[in-house]
Amino acid sequence: MMKQPLYDAVIIGSGASGGAVAYTLTKAGYKVAMLEKGRLIRREEFSKDELAYCRRDIVTPNLFDEYHVIEQKVDGKWEATPTYDSGWSFWNGNIVGGSSNFMSGMFHRLHPDDFRLKSKYGAIEGANVVDWPISYEDIEPYYTMAENIVGISGHYKPHPFEPPRSTPDFPQPPTQENEVVKLLDRSCRKLGVTSLVTPRAVLSQDRGHRKACYYSNFCGSYGCSSGAKGSSREALLPAALATGNLTLMSNTHVKQLVSESKTHVGYALAVDTITGKEKHIRGRIFIVAAQAHESARLLLNSADKNHPDGLANSSGELGKNLIFSGGGSGQGELHRDALKHISFDALMQTGLFVNRSVLDWYFIDDWLEGKFKGGSVEFMFEHQNIISRALKHNYDGEKLVWGKALGERVVKRFREQKSIRFEIFNDWLPTDDCFVSVDPTHKDKYGMPVGKLRINGHPQDVKVGNYIAKKCEKILEEMGAKNIYSSVSNAPAQNLVAGGCRFGDDPKTSVLNKYCQAHDIPNLFVADASFMPTGGSVAYTWTIYANAFRVADKIVEVLKKSEV
Amino acid sequence: MILGSITGLSACLKAENAHAQMRDFKKIRPVIAAVQEHMFPKNSTLPSARSMHTIDFTEETIFHHTYDKDIRTFVIAGAQELIAREERFLSYGPAQKEKALRAYEQTGYGSNWLARIMTLTMEALFSDPVYGSNINESGWRAIKSFGGIPRPTTRYIA
Repeated sequence: MMKQPLYDAVIIGSGASGGAVAYTLTKAGYKVAMLEKGRLIRREEFSKDELAYCRRDIVTPNLFDEYHVIEQKVDGKWEATPTYDSGWSFWNGNIVGGSSNFMSGMFHRLHPDDFRLKSKYGAIEGANVVDWPISYEDIEPYYTMAENIVGISGHYKPHPFEPPRSTPDFPQPPTQENEVVKLLDRSCRKLGVTSLVTPRAVLSQDRGHRKACYYSNFCGSYGCSSGAKGSSREALLPAALATGNLTLMSNTHVKQLVSESKTHVGYALAVDTITGKEKHIRGRIFIVAAQAHESARLLLNSADKNHPDGLANSSGELGKNLIFSGGGSGQGELHRDALKHISFDALMQTGLFVNRSVLDWYFIDDWLEGKFKGGSVEFMFEHQNIISRALKHNYDGEKLVWGKALGERVVKRFREQKSIRFEIFNDWLPTDDCFVSVDPTHKDKYGMPVGKLRINGHPQDVKVGNYIAKKCEKILEEMGAKNIYSSVSNAPAQNLVAGGCRFGDDPKTSVLNKYCQAHDIPNLFVADASFMPTGGSVAYTWTIYANAFRVADKIVEVLKKSEV
Repeated sequence: MILGSITGLSACLKAENAHAQMRDFKKIRPVIAAVQEHMFPKNSTLPSARSMHTIDFTEETIFHHTYDKDIRTFVIAGAQELIAREERFLSYGPAQKEKALRAYEQTGYGSNWLARIMTLTMEALFSDPVYGSNINESGWRAIKSFGGIPRPTTRYIA
């Protein structure tokens, strides 16, 4: 058998974090193999096909082939349901570039206090809150780096809860905005709320091979057809491939990492998803970047005689303290006949962004409720997907509306109103009842135990979400919206997942050190959001990019010193 | 199962199963078509199910490999159940159909099935015309909302 090449680094996953590590390593001259279970879909192949991208498992595995088991508390008892039964997929884009292809790109940095939540706010009963082993200052240069390399558009305005920046403003001006922002800004001002321009990982101007946003009206959940969206596939992989140092292996699913001693991983055992043929991919360093719940699963499934409880699990913490994003969402309808300050035609103009965030409740000091960590809010239009909008609100009590009455209802909804929406992001507190393990009986089509996710939110998460939702409903009221409602619950957004491989200084209580290198195995790193002990109160992606760039610098150092 | 895959037996079983399901579907196809036409009749502000060939869309959709096989079984079984309850459903006039369907809706099973048929029909009317329904974008034009650019040129990113 031909001897397999020895790569300097083998990266499992091609999403945001894998892309950032590949970018840095290949530019530094190292030979990198990137193993991606999904296929490559090129920019030219993407379309805004709602049926395919949003209603079928086209860019994620068929749930009968690969799935998760979700364990939730029902009437005080844990009940486990395979996702092929529930249809609740926990896959988030398994193609080259991962879920970054499909993000909405609303980007925020964490606040310096997110790195020291326990010191700042104290312990919370039932929650495993800890301070991070690094501070905001350690990661700030990498936020800036991500801003430039990934390309974030926006306009910086000072705000008490806006983290400090080392550069004055974003590299590109904001994307174009729908006139509804006039109404929104005005309503916020009236209520004493500060609306800020949302930084967005979407280019407003051409840059290199990437073209500016063309305002297609269908952004989140879809691949970008101009390259404006800052996915790993558009923003990082082309430059990494151009060095000649990156071997991108799509359709390559890693089943296990195989150790050669207690402190060294030797190769990745991968399967070609087309032919079913197994192969060994050898490297000096392995970087797991498969998205939090799958990264923990891979390490657990890699248990062997050297590591009976899974790789990097001497602490017993592997898979523990999985987190999502707390909060919820709400919306209201802006009707033609009740619209103030802007024209209905302007409101109905498609494609332009709402681009507004509120950080006023990131930290809350309420005369009645006291002081506590709050969250951030994004405003947007209801997703413009046509089929999903047509299917909403078609019941009259228990009865499904059909016939002419349905026609009138649907036509009116689409032509006489537009829904404005808010999404709340607050901390999903880490608890003992939210973790990943591997299922003892369920296996995927490759014969590997599937990830079993026990999911439970802390009551504080709902309290915070409700507090902020009430404030947001007032904004919608002030805008003149009708039929306002919000929904805050402990049900997770499966695309906002982190934790499971906590980083920390103490090998007894954490899986990774502060460079996201496994305490137990020096040639093993985890680069995705798994490291986060607490999640902050913004979407994760900017932090994932920034941290992966930080981790990549450490890996370069390790490779340079030939420590592995 | 292992033996089955070695001998190719499981593939044969799967094919046989799909074939049997198609036979079952063909039998109740007129029932589903009639329900869709009742839900989306002529002279509505939305195009009718009949003019948009939603039944053809439904057939192709539920037998496509991307469609949940459990839901496919349910779509067929729910129609079989309806025709078991209302043997002469196809010959009913609109008022009788309405009565029959509302009675079926009273059962949890019937209510779920009707919602599934509604979903499939809406998918037909408002998915890209490349899927064969929403002819000349009639569904989109009725609600003045159009799919994004670029449009798909093949079904299911084939």
